[in-house]
Amino acid sequence: MSEGLEIFGKTVFDTLFIDYRVMVVVAIISVLLFLVGMYIQLSKWGRGIPEGTTKPVGAFGALKFIISAMFAKGVGKFLEVLVLDVAFQRRTFKRRKLEWLMHILIFWGWIGLLVLTIVAAAAEFYGPFIKGSGPEFFISVWQSLEGLNDLFGYMLVAGIALAIIRRLFFKGTDIQARNADIDWILIIGLLIVVVTGFYAQDIRVAQDVSRVVISDYPPAFFNNFTVLFHEIFTLLFCVAYLPFSKYLHMMTAPLTLLVNHGGE
Amino acid sequence: MAKKQPSINTVNFSAKQLMEFDACTRCGECVKYCPTYDAREKNQDIEPRDKLQRWKDFMNKSYGLKAAIFGPEKIPDEEVKKFCDDLYNCTTCGMCGTVCPAGIDTIELWESTRANLVKRGDGPYGKQSLFPKLIDEHHNPYLKDQKDRLVWKTEDIKIAEKADIAYFIGCTAGYNQQVLSVSTARIMNKLNVPFMVLGEEEWCCGSALIRTGQQHINNTPKLAAIHNVEALKARGAKRVIFACAGCFRAAKIDWPRAYGGKLPFEVLHMSQFLAEQLDAGKIKWEKELKKTVTYHDPCHLGRHVGVFEEPRKVLRSMPGIELIEMERNRDEQRCCGAGGGVKAGIPDLAQAVANARVTDAVATGAEALISACPFCRRNLLDGRDELKADITVDDLVVLTANLMGLSTDIKSPAPGAPKETISDMFRTQTIPPKPPKEEKK
Repeated sequence: MSEGLEIFGKTVFDTLFIDYRVMVVVAIISVLLFLVGMYIQLSKWGRGIPEGTTKPVGAFGALKFIISAMFAKGVGKFLEVLVLDVAFQRRTFKRRKLEWLMHILIFWGWIGLLVLTIVAAAAEFYGPFIKGSGPEFFISVWQSLEGLNDLFGYMLVAGIALAIIRRLFFKGTDIQARNADIDWILIIGLLIVVVTGFYAQDIRVAQDVSRVVISDYPPAFFNNFTVLFHEIFTLLFCVAYLPFSKYLHMMTAPLTLLVNHGGE
Repeated sequence: MAKKQPSINTVNFSAKQLMEFDACTRCGECVKYCPTYDAREKNQDIEPRDKLQRWKDFMNKSYGLKAAIFGPEKIPDEEVKKFCDDLYNCTTCGMCGTVCPAGIDTIELWESTRANLVKRGDGPYGKQSLFPKLIDEHHNPYLKDQKDRLVWKTEDIKIAEKADIAYFIGCTAGYNQQVLSVSTARIMNKLNVPFMVLGEEEWCCGSALIRTGQQHINNTPKLAAIHNVEALKARGAKRVIFACAGCFRAAKIDWPRAYGGKLPFEVLHMSQFLAEQLDAGKIKWEKELKKTVTYHDPCHLGRHVGVFEEPRKVLRSMPGIELIEMERNRDEQRCCGAGGGVKAGIPDLAQAVANARVTDAVATGAEALISACPFCRRNLLDGRDELKADITVDDLVVLTANLMGLSTDIKSPAPGAPKETISDMFRTQTIPPKPPKEEKK
């Protein structure tokens, strides 16, 4: 084990058998919690009994209804709304330029990091299991993504910085809402994700990950407390907690835009 | 022990609408534009955002995760009633939905929530509860006789027995704002466009009931819509013209739902018809009027169905008329305050919103405030009178008729008739005062 308080020659991590495998377990639990949460929300929405009907449609009925409503005006309209309203937030851009910039930085920073993580994970799987090669393939993919990773990371930081500045110095209508302070949970949560994420990245760079990966796979830095904390916190906060929190709107607002065809 | 029951239910909501309550990001863009929130001195309970949030909380207390595990949490009846009252402090103008970054369809959502609360026994508000009985029994909300549907028709007006075009007059123009019906009819006559009317066969469009969440009571709006559609179809109407924005909205959006599909005729607003005639070179202006005017987009014509440019096109073509836009125009227009049952149910709120809109108009320096809806016209007249503002208020159709060289006079106004019965811009008639009531001996 790489670091931590040593007791009788062993770190607390070693004693508690905490290593990168915890992250894998938490990831599975987080995804399950996310799915359960979404099912509970769908069940709630599926309780609706519109005028002229007598029975609620249930969770799967709601899902079916939402999907069919998205495509009710054709694939072309769906794609238009997906690109212009969901990806580029046209409606926010029309009226709130500063908020739009903040949202775009956070949204695209986040999406970018997510996509790169998925690509890296796919490469990690593809190398040894499909290509039949060692970790070199994964390392080459990872290294080629470094620049983009930095870019999306800085976008996320800039977006969060804007959110904090707005909240502290501009008293917009969003801050006047009842229980508006709840938004600090999101801002602080994302800040923790970003700060620990950059710290983890620093450790990777300092250890020259490509060398570490080859000699010791999976690399020991995954067992670093901050790195583990970063991974676990991100999974719990951004995946498991999402359907149970006020931040559910991150899912439902784009869905609403899609089912309402951009809010026409 | 009996299982605890949720304090609210999900009747009248679609799955999509229940999802929409969870889609509010609480950004507060709606708050910046809400006309009733402004008129209620920025009372937070009136905010569209706050209403979304409160119903979402009700839903979570009744059907959320905690409710699923530990049973639903009781919501005090007073809390639901307070929410209901706040919900009715809304003209369903749709401004909140227009500016919502999440694209929430608030108009439909408010109407569904109102219907839900009416069924629960909390709604509607004040005199709105009279609508179902009045419209069901009299086919109009004004306690008027069906036989008097054509009471406005003057000798000079020619109405065809059968024609491709039908004019759906509406209760407000037919009974209370006769200047609008005579102007519409005379314009059609002048343009040599034969038109028919349903007369006694015309029933209320049902808008007042739908907007106030009372459509399910005796199914009146549905039956009225089917009746009107069938009557128009039986008479062979191919195009139906509406000079009332409220009726037009109902025919365009609500009637096809009631009828169960596409209507067997085209519906269009008089402003669209006039713009069409203008394009065809059929309108010949016979008078010039040197006036600056500003145009108020009725919610039911603008935001609800998207007719913004045609009325402006007609106004711009008028000789001598200079159109000045209010700061809030087209889809960002401020509501007049009459819609959503507010005029009948919460008159002081309707008045306060009208005052704000008239103030918008006065700020442009315009001499006249023109709209394309009798309901807006009536409320804006009230706003003008309360503010004692130096501005005349009239309908686009009335102004059009006058500049086409037509009379806008109605049959002799009845003593004590409401001020909106006659033209406000062209005061060629006066309303005789109501005779004093004889003292009972």
